[in-house]
Amino acid sequence: MDNNLPLTEAIFYILLAVRKPNHGYGIIQEVSEVTGGRLVLGPGTLYGAINSLLSKRWIMLYSEDKTSRKKKEYLITKDGKEIFFEEVKRLEELVQNAKLMEESV
Amino acid sequence: MKKFRLYYDKDVEQDWLQKMSLNGWALENFFLGVYTFVPCKPGEYIYQIDILDNWGGDKEDFAAFMEDSGVEVVSQWYRWVYLRKKADDGPFEMYTDIDSKIDQYSRIKNFFQVVLIIEVICLFMEIVAAIKTGNPLFWLLTIIIGFITLAILRVVWGSQ
Repeated sequence: MDNNLPLTEAIFYILLAVRKPNHGYGIIQEVSEVTGGRLVLGPGTLYGAINSLLSKRWIMLYSEDKTSRKKKEYLITKDGKEIFFEEVKRLEELVQNAKLMEESV
Repeated sequence: MKKFRLYYDKDVEQDWLQKMSLNGWALENFFLGVYTFVPCKPGEYIYQIDILDNWGGDKEDFAAFMEDSGVEVVSQWYRWVYLRKKADDGPFEMYTDIDSKIDQYSRIKNFFQVVLIIEVICLFMEIVAAIKTGNPLFWLLTIIIGFITLAILRVVWGSQ
């Protein structure tokens, strides 16, 4: 599982955005909001990432609205959450070690 | 307005569509090198060209996803897709990180590799026909296909 880390920024934020059921456009908007507009995912990037996350079973198809237009919602899986928190642990270590630099100044 | 063009570099093609939009012409349809344009407000749309996976790509799934994300699918031809968004809605770029950009170029490379193999087979058959019959027409075709093959070879090389 360890060779999955580090996650790309796009994957990290997509996993975060599907902690509750969310659809494509919703993911783009939420990621843009929480990063203050710094990270706006291109729809092609998002499409490729979602398909790769689905095949790894880190996310799953939550619902598919067949009545109106086809709008698919995705939700993180247990495996996906595990990976996410492993990555958070790795990031915390980075920030922790960064303090060594501050002490040296 | 209809225009006939042959592009083998999607970045150059994309720039051309962008210039057409700035001049007030919006792409409506693409088929076999024929581009159909209708008038639009100058600079109304931003165009992007994408390619689906040769084997695993699902046309309908891709189109539905893009429409859900607020992107208009203008035209699809074989594995190639023409997409656009209104410029008023902000910047529009299909691929925003380096990994997905590399993925796209490797899909383009795969596509042209398949085309290259077909062209080489055609070239070989033309040469055999030309030698057997001695007909100058076959030699002409051989030279034409030879040039196409070289052009495709350049694309495959360039997208490494």
